Amino acid sequence: MKPNIAAATGGQKKAGRRSETLGSNSEIGRKLKQYYDDLVSDEVPDRFANLLKQLEESEKASATPVGEGQ
Amino acid sequence: MADTASTFKQDLLGAIPSLRAFAMSLAQNADKADDLVQETLVKAWDKQASFQPGTNLKAWVFTILRNEFYSQMRKRGREVQDSDGVITARLAVHPAQQGSMDLDDFRTALETLPEDQREAIILIGASGFSYEEAAEICDCAVGTIKSRVSRARSRLQEILNVSGEADFGPDAISAQVMGSNAA
Repeated sequence: MKPNIAAATGGQKKAGRRSETLGSNSEIGRKLKQYYDDLVSDEVPDRFANLLKQLEESEKASATPVGEGQ
Repeated sequence: MADTASTFKQDLLGAIPSLRAFAMSLAQNADKADDLVQETLVKAWDKQASFQPGTNLKAWVFTILRNEFYSQMRKRGREVQDSDGVITARLAVHPAQQGSMDLDDFRTALETLPEDQREAIILIGASGFSYEEAAEICDCAVGTIKSRVSRARSRLQEILNVSGEADFGPDAISAQVMGSNAA
């Protein structure tokens, strides 16, 4: 008895997107998202915002043409 | 000019939580991860001119972070990787009780994956990138990403003793992974 290959491949087409490959049908997919969302929702330390602020300020300072400031 | 710069800064700020998550997935150590993010932000700022507004900033900074991670690893002369042994041994505590695997077990299992597989499954399964974007971030072919994701997934299933998804068998899954170009 041959398995119904045609039906099987037909059914896979719509499941071919990555969202389903690791999607809600999959325990691994769910855990993966849980793991990652956990990390994403971790509170961001101030040091990063401060760093960007510093970078921005030092850029502004150096962008002022010499002798033309003020 | 100033406006472009401050938009760029805002976008960078917005990307930080994802960057940290990706860094943690790669480095598996909070201090190293945050150092990576810091280094990435400085590099991104310096390379600002090479970013094309309108393109995917998140993918762009992920690429920078990833390059930074691997170059640091090379510099450090590759600290001993846990080549399956140690962490896997810790896993001997029967992880999966039929569909109720613990997040800690999952995390531990994820740590046992080789970096290339781990980053692939994270980018695709969690960070929301397409195969094409992931391939660009990892500087490899789309097919390579697909096979890494597929291997990562089988390995996780094996370690965590998750019976392959009941709704479609393992063969159907690899067929999907390999054949999803059309999607």
